[in-house]
Amino acid sequence: MNVVGGHPIEAEGLVRRFGDLVAVDGVDLVVEEGEIFGFLGPNGAGKSTLVRMLTTLLRPTAGRARVAGYDVVEQAGAVRRSIGVALQDAAIDPLMTGRELLRLQAVLHGIARAEADERGDVLLERVGLRGAADRRVGTYSGGMRRRLDLALSLVHEPTVLFLDEPTTGLDPTSRLALWEEVRRLNDEGTTVFLTTQYLEEADELAGRIAIIDGGKIVREGQPRALKEAVGAHTLVVTVPVAQDGAAADVLLRFGEPRAAKAGSVAIGLAGGPAELSGALRALEDAGITVEHVELDAPSLDDVFAEATGRRLEGAESDEPAVEVSG
Amino acid sequence: MTVAVLDAHEVRIGRRQAVDQARALARRSVVGTLRQPQVWLPGLLFPMFIATVNTSTMGKAVHIPGFPPVDSLLDFLLPASITQSVLFGGLTAGSDTALDIQTGFFDRLLASPVSRTSILVGRLAGASVTGALQAVVFMVVYGIFGVRIAAGPAGAVLLIVFAMVLALVIGGFAAMLALRTGSAEAVQNVFPVTFIGLFISSAFFPTELMTGVYRSIARRNPITWMVDGMRHQVIVGLDWSEAATSLAVAAVLAVLAMFGANRALQSRLRRAT
Repeated sequence: MNVVGGHPIEAEGLVRRFGDLVAVDGVDLVVEEGEIFGFLGPNGAGKSTLVRMLTTLLRPTAGRARVAGYDVVEQAGAVRRSIGVALQDAAIDPLMTGRELLRLQAVLHGIARAEADERGDVLLERVGLRGAADRRVGTYSGGMRRRLDLALSLVHEPTVLFLDEPTTGLDPTSRLALWEEVRRLNDEGTTVFLTTQYLEEADELAGRIAIIDGGKIVREGQPRALKEAVGAHTLVVTVPVAQDGAAADVLLRFGEPRAAKAGSVAIGLAGGPAELSGALRALEDAGITVEHVELDAPSLDDVFAEATGRRLEGAESDEPAVEVSG
Repeated sequence: MTVAVLDAHEVRIGRRQAVDQARALARRSVVGTLRQPQVWLPGLLFPMFIATVNTSTMGKAVHIPGFPPVDSLLDFLLPASITQSVLFGGLTAGSDTALDIQTGFFDRLLASPVSRTSILVGRLAGASVTGALQAVVFMVVYGIFGVRIAAGPAGAVLLIVFAMVLALVIGGFAAMLALRTGSAEAVQNVFPVTFIGLFISSAFFPTELMTGVYRSIARRNPITWMVDGMRHQVIVGLDWSEAATSLAVAAVLAVLAMFGANRALQSRLRRAT
């Protein structure tokens, strides 16, 4: 890892406007060397716009950013030589073979043919595409394209890797395989900037995350710390409808009420999992029939909800984020 | 002093890399075209079909007084068929550029340290090589049916060079449109216009035998100037003056087209960044 001074990614007051629309609104960001930084948000939150600015594809309206130690506007060429980019939708020429595209990418980065072929072979092996290397990309599955996209972004051994929603649309197996590869890259020292709309993905991979909403970063930190900051575990108890009022009265002794479906009562269990048995005993003592019990640890969705008043989970399509009910 | 030497060295490396990048992108362009028979086959078959129909139905037109001296109408039509095919194929350079923009491949290129000019040069060089291949195919196929190029091998080379420059003309204008609009459909919509330009020229019929406004337009049509010069090599013999006129017109148009395409590229880059 050879970042020229400072952090692999630094942004200060970064703004991007499209006419009246402010897509990114004063983002400050520091990504540490060797970390996987997760950038989380719903569609239209500003994730891809920020990535396009950091990868020199879009000029900021205001503010400044440095990537791999270079200014994204003044030293765009140096930034491009230092970064690997796998953009959303894996834009790969379907008429070329995987091997041909790796060669092309190598030439674009000024790598000599012999070295390019050698690196290409290593990368194809690494992403499990050696057997399909001489097939046209048009015959690849979605997962294979993503893996090739990743290999293409690594041809020149970048110091910083940008992955823009790398697993969107992938089946679970392909998603897990890609996660594994991202972890391996990070273990080897590559700094990874990962945008995603999948909470689980950010939780699994990222050492730190930022949540963006409406162009602004609304939370930033380690996933665990952010979840802990949201507060207690949520206890959800399903009882007969006639008894939900009484159940609520009992459970309120153990924590604050939380939104729940009809027939269920939910509270933030102030004392954590240790109080679960006590709460259930109290329900039993009150003669309430407990049909189902759930104890949910705070999730990144809770963090998102707490920060924005909306849920991200289930809002992975183009629909707007789901309002918290209750 | 040392700094100056290093700078010069870096500039040389930069230039060499830009050439390598343009060559690699040209290769991609040619390979991409060749791997889509549905793209290049109509560009070959359609002109051949028109030439076949014209030769069958109007073959005796060559005996009309004032018609250039040819053994068969096919001799007369060889340059027209090459021009028609290259006009058709050159548009592919534009529509493929637009597709790169639409699919995001253009962004992949821009996110790499590729010379921006190499993106355009590579695409147009690919179109030019494809144009040369088209010219060779027509000369071989028409040769099988008895067409002989009066200017000999030099004439054949001139026809190939002409096809390459003409591909730069149409490819450049198509790329300009693609970079302005980002739409493959917009580029394809130009096809009828090029066809009208081709038919109101001397491509399929000598201007000497035309009358009225049609003749007046055809005589001013640059396609006429280009086709006539090449036709001279096929039916009369080697004439550098005729060839130079034809190639000069094509070259001027090619420079204008590439200038326009480069302006469109710079404009797109400014809009994006």
